[in-house]
Amino acid sequence: MTESHIYNYRQDFQPLLKLFRGVIKKMSNQQVKANKMLNATQGLKNIMGRHFLAIEQAFRDGKPTAWATSGSPVEMLYAMDVQPMLPENSATVSAAQKLSKNFIELAEDQGYSYDLCSYFKTNVGAVTSNATMLQGGTRKPTFMLSTDVICDTHVNWFQVQAERLNVPHYSIDVPHVVSNTNNRQYNYFKNYVAEQLYQLLDFIQEVTGNEYHEEKAREVSENSWKLSMVWQDIYELRKNVPCPISTRDTFGGLFPLFTMPGLKEPIRLYKRMYREAKERVENGIGALKNEKYRLMFEGIPFWYNLKYFGMLEKYGAIIVYEPYTYAFSKYMNPKVTKEKVLNKPIEAMAELMLSFWYVYDLETRIQKFAETVREWNVDGVILHNNYSCRPNSCGLYDLKKHLMDDFDIPCLIIDADMNDPRKFNEEQLTNQIESFIEILENRK
Amino acid sequence: MKKIAIFDSGVETPEEIILAAGFIPYRLFGDPTIQADKVNEHIPPTHCVWTRNLLEQAIRGLDPDVIGLIATHGCDRMNREFDLWLECVKLDFMFFLNSPRKRDEISLKFFINDLKELIAQLEMNFNITITNEKISVAIKKMNRVRRLLKEISSYRSQYKLKGSEFHQLVRGVQQIDKDEAITLLEKTLNELKNREVFNHKSLKNVLLTGSDLDDTKFVEVLESQGFHIVIDDLGVGTKYFWNTVEENGNPIENLAKYHLSKPIHATKFPSYDRFQVLKNLIQEYNIDGVINIANKFCEPVLYDHPYLRKKFKELEIPYLFVEVIYDRESYIQLSTRFSAFAEII
Repeated sequence: MTESHIYNYRQDFQPLLKLFRGVIKKMSNQQVKANKMLNATQGLKNIMGRHFLAIEQAFRDGKPTAWATSGSPVEMLYAMDVQPMLPENSATVSAAQKLSKNFIELAEDQGYSYDLCSYFKTNVGAVTSNATMLQGGTRKPTFMLSTDVICDTHVNWFQVQAERLNVPHYSIDVPHVVSNTNNRQYNYFKNYVAEQLYQLLDFIQEVTGNEYHEEKAREVSENSWKLSMVWQDIYELRKNVPCPISTRDTFGGLFPLFTMPGLKEPIRLYKRMYREAKERVENGIGALKNEKYRLMFEGIPFWYNLKYFGMLEKYGAIIVYEPYTYAFSKYMNPKVTKEKVLNKPIEAMAELMLSFWYVYDLETRIQKFAETVREWNVDGVILHNNYSCRPNSCGLYDLKKHLMDDFDIPCLIIDADMNDPRKFNEEQLTNQIESFIEILENRK
Repeated sequence: MKKIAIFDSGVETPEEIILAAGFIPYRLFGDPTIQADKVNEHIPPTHCVWTRNLLEQAIRGLDPDVIGLIATHGCDRMNREFDLWLECVKLDFMFFLNSPRKRDEISLKFFINDLKELIAQLEMNFNITITNEKISVAIKKMNRVRRLLKEISSYRSQYKLKGSEFHQLVRGVQQIDKDEAITLLEKTLNELKNREVFNHKSLKNVLLTGSDLDDTKFVEVLESQGFHIVIDDLGVGTKYFWNTVEENGNPIENLAKYHLSKPIHATKFPSYDRFQVLKNLIQEYNIDGVINIANKFCEPVLYDHPYLRKKFKELEIPYLFVEVIYDRESYIQLSTRFSAFAEII
């Protein structure tokens, strides 16, 4: 290894730590001092710092790297010794650094519509302006991996950037399960995805020269499974009243689930989070001092204004469940057992990609929401009609109607955007939230 | 005769299977004269204006002869919206066809499976049998329609047929009984053979692309600005008939191959391949300029626009990109942009 390949801790690692300290601080909203995040969550900055550093190190070492969209089988990248980079994760860094608006406008100057996904435009702007990783930039990858597990924007996004950066791009087409999809269909859907995953292995080998080893794949799969299980255990603790952890811990805490599934370090972090949260439960301590209302939040948060979620606390309200952050602990399909994950990782992954919480069909979504509301003792549901995420926003109106009419669950739809602060009207939103809290109050 | 409605932002629904089942394929088109009302309870106003319009119509009531619906995957709003159709529209038969995004052997195998599933569900639902022989007969009939349309289309470049006339014809064919369609097309073709060339000296030859424009009035507005739509790559256009289905061999496989080998739509991957198709058409039809129309919030077309703009600039072909609200009043507001473009080219 040459000297230039050895990273400089002070030069490379410290700024990343500083960045994540800043992000974590924003998430914790220091204004409400009585209500705090878990001490363990502070460790997130180290984990994420190491992730970004690993990207830098891979780049310097000439190790293969890949951009991957969320919902992609990142485990397969780790199994083939390819360093993943998640541009969506980087886009949230830009937002937390208050840079996303500038990047979005840069993309719009290049002809990308005001109506397109703000993650995509943040990434286009960040790449155009050679943004550093501290600003939400990303390195040029060896190749790109997209899927439409979540949306076709991912496929279009990487098509745009693969052409601009001149790198190979593999895309996995995932058929859409709708409310009347039957088991027979589900089976050939699975086979279709699995065949593409096998083709992906060939693609990666061809592009990088790295081979797929089952033993390594099993090790990665086991770590991914463990990571998700601990996350689910943490969520189980949120059923307690008072709820031991809030979005301060989960909005940022979710990042390792989609950037590092398959590594050991985040498992240790999640275990620390779990132990501390459990201790809070045993001692009757909540994340919010005086918990009055328990809420569910559907959709992606506003990364540029996370402190807004802290504002809920002045009403005694706490978010106890977010399908978005729970969804990335992907092992929720009861048919996908640990044994299957370890012994047939490709087939298991194919099945998981078809049953992702974030994109459930309407019928399943309604049932799942109703169950969650019951199990987590939720008083009301806030649904984020996200201008940037039409597949997720579509169906929210009917979801709300069913939850209210069939299950008597109070719901509020709010309009905003996950990464574009221009589409966030704080005054209007606050008025809506206050009215909603009044409704909850009247039901007590 | 009963109809099976088609909800498809491209033209990847195999009408032959509907014909073989004994129904009339009836593609749903928007109605820009109606305002969104009931649909506002289901789809946010910042979503595709065209699909919102279709659901609005469906909630108000579809053609009474429509007894079923096939919704075919275009973009990823379609599957979510299909669930809303299941909620709001009560029909005997409703099927979501997962037309694959990619174009390779694995996708072909998958699409064949999905077509077989469609057949199985039609058979079970209506207690009918759809044999390969029936599908083969339907393929021959549809190929006849395609060949006639392709021949008629050529009269656009001979300046005997206006783009708007042709648009109306292709649109109509997608909604009527195919025997009637063949009669209509044969009559049109005979009439065109004797038609005089219209005055085209001041007209600008343009290629129309983008979202699947289904309002003929919009094409008429373009013509009123001095454009002649000599060719297109729309679903209400060449995509519907450019190639024919292989008539020998397994008909289901042939149908799947046909749809996956058609010029690619913006909703499929890699949509950038569209450029080569457009480039070929530009060269073949001596095009003066390209007009790319995006229905408001039509994301796939919006993503492709900067790439196409770059590529057309390299080709030194004038290119106009326009976003359209699905409302005829808005067409008038676009007149200034159209006339400025006409001046440029």
